[in-house]
Amino acid sequence: MSRDEIPPGTLYMLILRVLARSGELHGYEIAKSIELLSQDVLQVEEGSLYPALQRMLIKGWVKAEWGATAENRRARYYRLTPAGRRQLEQEISQFERVMGAITRVIQTA
Amino acid sequence: MRWIERCSELGRRFQMFFSRRERFDLEIEEEMRLHRDLRARALRDDGANSEDAGYAAQRRFGNTLRLREEIHQAWGWTWLDRLILDLRYACRRLRQSPGFTAVAALTLALGIGANTAVYSFMDALLLRSLPVPDPQSLVVLKWHMKNLDDQGPVGGRSVMHGMDGSTYDVPGLGLTGGIFPFPAFELLQKNSSPFSSLFAHYPARNLNVISKEQAEIDRGEYVSGEFFHGIGIPPAAGRLITLGDDRLEAPAVAVVSFAFSQRRFGGTSNAPGQTILVNNVPVEVVGVVPAQFFGVDPAASPDLYLPVHANVLLESASPAGFKPEQYLDQNTYWLEIMARLRPGVSMAQAQAALAPRFHQWMENTAANDQERANLPALVLQEGAGGLDALRRKYSRPLYVLLTLVGLILAIACANIANLQLAHATGRRREMALRLSVGASRLRLVRQLLTESVLLAALGGALGVLVAIWGIRFLTLLLASGQANFALHAELNWHVLGVAVALSLLTGVVFGLFPALQSTPVDVVPALKEIRAGESRSRYRVSLSHVLVVSQIGLSLLMLVAASLFVRTLANLQAIELGINRENLLLFELNARQVGHRDPEISSFYETLQKRFSAVPGARSVSLSHNALIADGESGAPVVVPGKSNDERTRFLNVGPGFFSTMQIPISLGREINEHDQPGSPAVVVVNELFAKVNFGNENPLGYRLTFGGGGLASREMEIIGVTAMAHYGDLKNDVPPVVYIPYNQSPFAPREMTYALRTAGDPLAVVKTIRDIVHQADARIPVINIRSQVAAIDQGMGQEIMFAKLCTVFAILALVIACVGLYGTMSYNVARRTSEIGIRMALGAQRSGVVWMVLREVFLLATLGLAIGLPAAFATSRLIKSFLFAMKPNDPLALTSAVATLLGAALLAGYAPARSASRVDPIVALRHE
Repeated sequence: MSRDEIPPGTLYMLILRVLARSGELHGYEIAKSIELLSQDVLQVEEGSLYPALQRMLIKGWVKAEWGATAENRRARYYRLTPAGRRQLEQEISQFERVMGAITRVIQTA
Repeated sequence: MRWIERCSELGRRFQMFFSRRERFDLEIEEEMRLHRDLRARALRDDGANSEDAGYAAQRRFGNTLRLREEIHQAWGWTWLDRLILDLRYACRRLRQSPGFTAVAALTLALGIGANTAVYSFMDALLLRSLPVPDPQSLVVLKWHMKNLDDQGPVGGRSVMHGMDGSTYDVPGLGLTGGIFPFPAFELLQKNSSPFSSLFAHYPARNLNVISKEQAEIDRGEYVSGEFFHGIGIPPAAGRLITLGDDRLEAPAVAVVSFAFSQRRFGGTSNAPGQTILVNNVPVEVVGVVPAQFFGVDPAASPDLYLPVHANVLLESASPAGFKPEQYLDQNTYWLEIMARLRPGVSMAQAQAALAPRFHQWMENTAANDQERANLPALVLQEGAGGLDALRRKYSRPLYVLLTLVGLILAIACANIANLQLAHATGRRREMALRLSVGASRLRLVRQLLTESVLLAALGGALGVLVAIWGIRFLTLLLASGQANFALHAELNWHVLGVAVALSLLTGVVFGLFPALQSTPVDVVPALKEIRAGESRSRYRVSLSHVLVVSQIGLSLLMLVAASLFVRTLANLQAIELGINRENLLLFELNARQVGHRDPEISSFYETLQKRFSAVPGARSVSLSHNALIADGESGAPVVVPGKSNDERTRFLNVGPGFFSTMQIPISLGREINEHDQPGSPAVVVVNELFAKVNFGNENPLGYRLTFGGGGLASREMEIIGVTAMAHYGDLKNDVPPVVYIPYNQSPFAPREMTYALRTAGDPLAVVKTIRDIVHQADARIPVINIRSQVAAIDQGMGQEIMFAKLCTVFAILALVIACVGLYGTMSYNVARRTSEIGIRMALGAQRSGVVWMVLREVFLLATLGLAIGLPAAFATSRLIKSFLFAMKPNDPLALTSAVATLLGAALLAGYAPARSASRVDPIVALRHE
């Protein structure tokens, strides 16, 4: 099964979405969740997750806290803030608008 | 909302940067490691062998170093990192050339400090509001009317028949005043709908205040019953003056200043209930105003607030004092009025609403058509800063000062830019090298700018110290000896903000051009240059020359201003006073205020005169109503039968021996002496101008004149003497025709008197004895305004002395800075041309020829500077015309001396480089090549 790179500009939305769904996740879990939820179609370029998360920290969309994994390793867990939740709604509605428009263009062709 | 988000973002960036930088990197590292480990395990679980799984996880993850860099950039740290790098580099560069750094920082410190100090006065003068609630809604009521030539407002041609207060001329608007007849106040009160309150006040100048047996002279303010309600301040103790206090029959009450309550009663709470004697009338203190409240006039700061109607009780002792009838008089102007606008009403609306009603009322006060043709028209002025007397007096001098210090800063900037330029050219190769290995030009310019701004910041920090010292110095100069100088400047946030802004601005201004200059656009030629600094570019030479020329031009402006002010002061000091000003003590006392009455008061003053003359060290003593010079002047009709009254004529009440004490020569007849008593025939002494105007070449002795009249008391008096011309009143005015009258015979009985005491030695040495004598004669009378005649004259010329001193200092500073610039440029040029000069000398050029070659360039630069500076000086010196005395703005002597000084200084600055050029050894210079 071939895997697709995620479309540019949607990484934030995907991260926000999985965080909204699962509450607290660390970086690897986020990458894993995106793959699972997309039924292994979408593949995150894993390293780029971290600069993206840092940018989201700066924007105040997520919060980070250190915790322990099931195997008792230190991991940084990310959680949505109210501002992040608002951002997610905004991004989704914008994405749907754009996708809707693109779909219409394709179907009428 | 957006900028709040921005700010909290910025906060997060900085917090992270400064607090947890290293830990941050470790944590990112740990987080990424966990990710790779988990991924590798997942791959192993899928069946890969452990080594392959590790590499695959690594590959999928990407370049950790690049990612970390990306994260740093996201946090904005790259920028901060570079700034810190630039700052470190700049510090190192500045430390490398301590001489340059010290000179540049000190010049900037002087420039920025002087500007900050002057600005702090502007801030205090123009921006400070009264310490009351909602000062913005306060307005001051004034009027304008046509100015009828120089005859003054009082006279048969305007509705203002009499006044107590002051009016002033506003160019374009005419005569302006803030004083009104009492009935006008009542009219406005009836029509005060645009205002939430309307209130009146007027200054009570010097009051004799006795509390706990101790007498002092204090400033007071009469305020109407609505005043404190309108101003809106609460009492610090007791209560404030109310409507019930401001009635003719009401018992006299007073509210005192915070400082007064501390000084006289030892605390605010002790003040209410105390009884004090004000002008010999018992007055009950009912309250204290808050400590920060200084009244409505920043120039006054009264100690006592009294109801307006109390003036009948307190001021009526003098024959020329206040009479109850004045409350009904529609043509005597004395009461000042302020108001508070109702919310939502603008000043223009309020004025439009009141002006017609006011005009109508004014029409009814006119006695004839001429008066009706020029009625005062009501205008409102902003009252947030209180009355504007202080602003009117000091704003123009301060603007002139601000211009001068601005020029200094400009010269300093030009100079540092020039020094930087020389530096920068030396660094062209270094910069070219850095550019060629990949640095961006923007990055290099930024680095050089960081250096300039750091230098400017250093200058600014030192400048604040200079400003602190400068504020003290300026206060001293502006006050010029006034004990109650009211303009208090301070370093507040506004002022410090201005200092910071100035530093940044100057840093960018003097740094930008050299920075652009030293980062060559075209790298190759710069690298090809044989030695660092040996630029072939003509451009650099011309830019540094432009800077030197403009410095010379600006210095010329300062020099012209300085020589104009110095000559003005010299002109003032050269005025023939007609008296001997040395060893003369002046002091003032007022016996009428504490209850002395006619005719006893005359003998009281006479007895004192006799006692003073017995003081050891005293040669002679006399007295007059005002001091002769710079202390006000009095006018009244003086009619010689058959002649018309000359309106310039002034009079002065004097005591026996006045002319011999002042050493004014008597040219005809005799002076007024102790035999001229109230009962003896009335006599006057006139000055030569009066004699000439009224009698031509005839001998005026024995003629009689009528003094006073026209509604005032009058008396017929005989001329018994003519004196030489002595200055009376304002120094800058011509001596008017003057009539001197024995104070004990004058129809205008004396109030306060100024004694003049001629001493053998230092006049101030007898002050204590004088105080003791007065205290013995009547302990209720304080002696005030004690000064030597010389100090009194200097105080009258305070502004001119200030300008002459400051401007000279500034001009010297400007000249020194410009000469340093010239010297630097010429030295640099000579160093650059060493080999050329060597060749010339090897070919037989004389040393004198080389000196001349360099001096010719100096001369050329100086002349260019003059060519720019002179027209500028011509154009701008008109702006200070009103500050000059007995000279035109383009005074040839002032201009010539400025030009000569400048040329001399320029040649001096150029001579050293010229000499070193002539010492070039051809062999050494050529071997160098």
